[in-house]
Amino acid sequence: MSLKVAVVGCGKIADGHVEEIGKIEGARVVAVCDLEPIMAEQLAVRYGIPAYYSDLARLLEREKPDVVHITTPPQSHVRLGMLAVDAGCHLYMEKPLAPTAADARNLIDYVQSHGRKMTINYWVNFDPVGLALSKLLKEGVLGEPVHVESALGYNLSGAFGDALLRDVKHWVHGLPGKLFQNVLDHILNKVALVLPDETTKTMVAGYRLRPDSNIAARDSLLDELRVLMQGERVSAYCTLSSHTRPVTHSLRVYGTLNTVHVDYNHRTIQMEAAQDLPSAIGRLVPPFQQGWRLLRNGRRNVGQFLHNEYHYFAGMNTLITSFYRSIREDAPLPIPYADILRVSGWMDEIFRQIPQSGDSVLSGRAQ
Amino acid sequence: MRILVTGAGGFLGSVLVRKLLERGQRDIRCLVRSPNRLDQLNSTVALRPDARVEIMTGNLSRSEDAARAVADVDTIFHLASAMGGGAPDMFLNTVVGSRNLLDAVGDRPLRIVLVSSFGVYGVAGLRRGAVVDEHTPLEAHPERRDIYSHTKLRQELLFLEYQNKLGFELVIMRPGVIYGPGMAGHFSARVGLPLFGVFLHLGGGNKLPLTYVENCADAIITAGLASDAAGHVYNVHDDDLPTSRQYLKRYKREVKKIRSVRVPYAALKLVSRLVERYHRYSKGQLPAIFTPYKTASLWAGNRFDNRVLKATGWTQQISTDEGLSRTFTYFRESAKK
Repeated sequence: MSLKVAVVGCGKIADGHVEEIGKIEGARVVAVCDLEPIMAEQLAVRYGIPAYYSDLARLLEREKPDVVHITTPPQSHVRLGMLAVDAGCHLYMEKPLAPTAADARNLIDYVQSHGRKMTINYWVNFDPVGLALSKLLKEGVLGEPVHVESALGYNLSGAFGDALLRDVKHWVHGLPGKLFQNVLDHILNKVALVLPDETTKTMVAGYRLRPDSNIAARDSLLDELRVLMQGERVSAYCTLSSHTRPVTHSLRVYGTLNTVHVDYNHRTIQMEAAQDLPSAIGRLVPPFQQGWRLLRNGRRNVGQFLHNEYHYFAGMNTLITSFYRSIREDAPLPIPYADILRVSGWMDEIFRQIPQSGDSVLSGRAQ
Repeated sequence: MRILVTGAGGFLGSVLVRKLLERGQRDIRCLVRSPNRLDQLNSTVALRPDARVEIMTGNLSRSEDAARAVADVDTIFHLASAMGGGAPDMFLNTVVGSRNLLDAVGDRPLRIVLVSSFGVYGVAGLRRGAVVDEHTPLEAHPERRDIYSHTKLRQELLFLEYQNKLGFELVIMRPGVIYGPGMAGHFSARVGLPLFGVFLHLGGGNKLPLTYVENCADAIITAGLASDAAGHVYNVHDDDLPTSRQYLKRYKREVKKIRSVRVPYAALKLVSRLVERYHRYSKGQLPAIFTPYKTASLWAGNRFDNRVLKATGWTQQISTDEGLSRTFTYFRESAKK
């Protein structure tokens, strides 16, 4: 069966959704929607989509899509999601799922109670290196996870950062966690792979390194975040930095048997070399082992490039494909709801500790 | 007469405000998106203490800001436009912003001078060397062009649609390549593109439709305020146009040495076909920076005609030789800072 897909919210990330859906056999975008008709029109014209709307209810009634991708600001996710579910649609949601964990739970409950399916765009975990990490974890190569470090850089000089800094009415300023809430999913959804606890002891430090702009609404947006989380057996350290260069995107998982480092920007995944040989020889060899492993990563990436499997949103493509398969074949969802709820709950606690309402430097405390 | 200039803090806008003041206009509202980087505008305003110049911060993508901006004005010079960023951003800031401005104007009988672009012309189907003038058809396939051209065409169509509906006076100015001290890049894409440390010289012997920023501002004011200009379109470029080759040669001599490779048009057409084919085959693994359509639009080479503009009484005040000299001096000095 060919799935009819609609995309609601025609901002920046919608392009990525439309492009990736367009590559998937057995699915087609039948319509797009945005409150602003010009935005809906431009997306439809650029990608040759047959219809566009400024009213979701009208789209649902006329186009009867099977799946709705919701790529609007998160404040509208629950309302639009429920509207689409009422029309019998499955949901592919942009992150963050909702402003609060309670909202996220409400939406998931609503989806389940109506016999529909939902997933969230945690696409990085489905990138080739993300999938390789999941395989290592599943096969127990690392042993028992002990600690995880998840880091993400954010370039505030980029198009999105510039837009939200310039415009104090940008929707990001209306989120409880502001900038952090818009990107923290990509840090915490990796932590969720190894940290099973719903609640953790959490220490948070959030602060701003940008100079004063003398515009209170702008200056209340923090740009550096550190989070230390302690579960029953696993701990996590999260870094979100707007000022470190190069802009990083990495993960290190420490296990009882092995430690692995994943670089999502360069798509490398590398086990730490152990010192197996004695004395000075034992210290001489590991850099060559590491170099060799990196070289193999590079060779694999070239192979993927040559086979046209090296797209920026390769992970999104894999995730959408698995979600659609889950709908068609009634297979398990690619992301368990428990993982999504865990991430939402952690975010609530982090933002509770650093309310961003005026002070430029704030720090949190243990729960 | 009370004038609104949108995009007044920009490269062209700040010069246009100065020129309006020099021509005796004394009641101007300057709409700027950001209160930062207004040095040039502020110093212009400081020189005319007798004028009433209001600097208003606002974003036309918000309708309340658009309403504030157009309140009590008689003439609007609409320059605000996105020059870069992703496609959705550019549509939001250029097209949605324009729609909000037009909605705020409503049925008031004022004059709007829209600063559009050469990019709205559909030139891919023209033979090489064909003349581009105000009668050249508009682009029929904007989605196959660059996003900037697409947004400018959509903006212009929006103005025509509203003008037809509401009846305000509309003057459309279509500048070619605006250059001068303060411009963002050093090269128009019509000259070429940097790629992996080498400058691909794509324009060859093609004429560049340059308009020095001061000449361009003069043209917009002259035609924009002419009593019989309503309903007309004006292409804006200077008289003594250099070729792409001349621009690059002089740049190397007066600004800095760069490594460049001349790509003949026939080779570029071939490369464009290959790039587009690979883009499709690989499902977008590499961007289609060259396609036969874009190549024919930008680098086939056209001739240009500014007789309609000249009929308004506009004359080129700064020669291209002088304009390039000032621009390249600015590039050189900026590099030292």
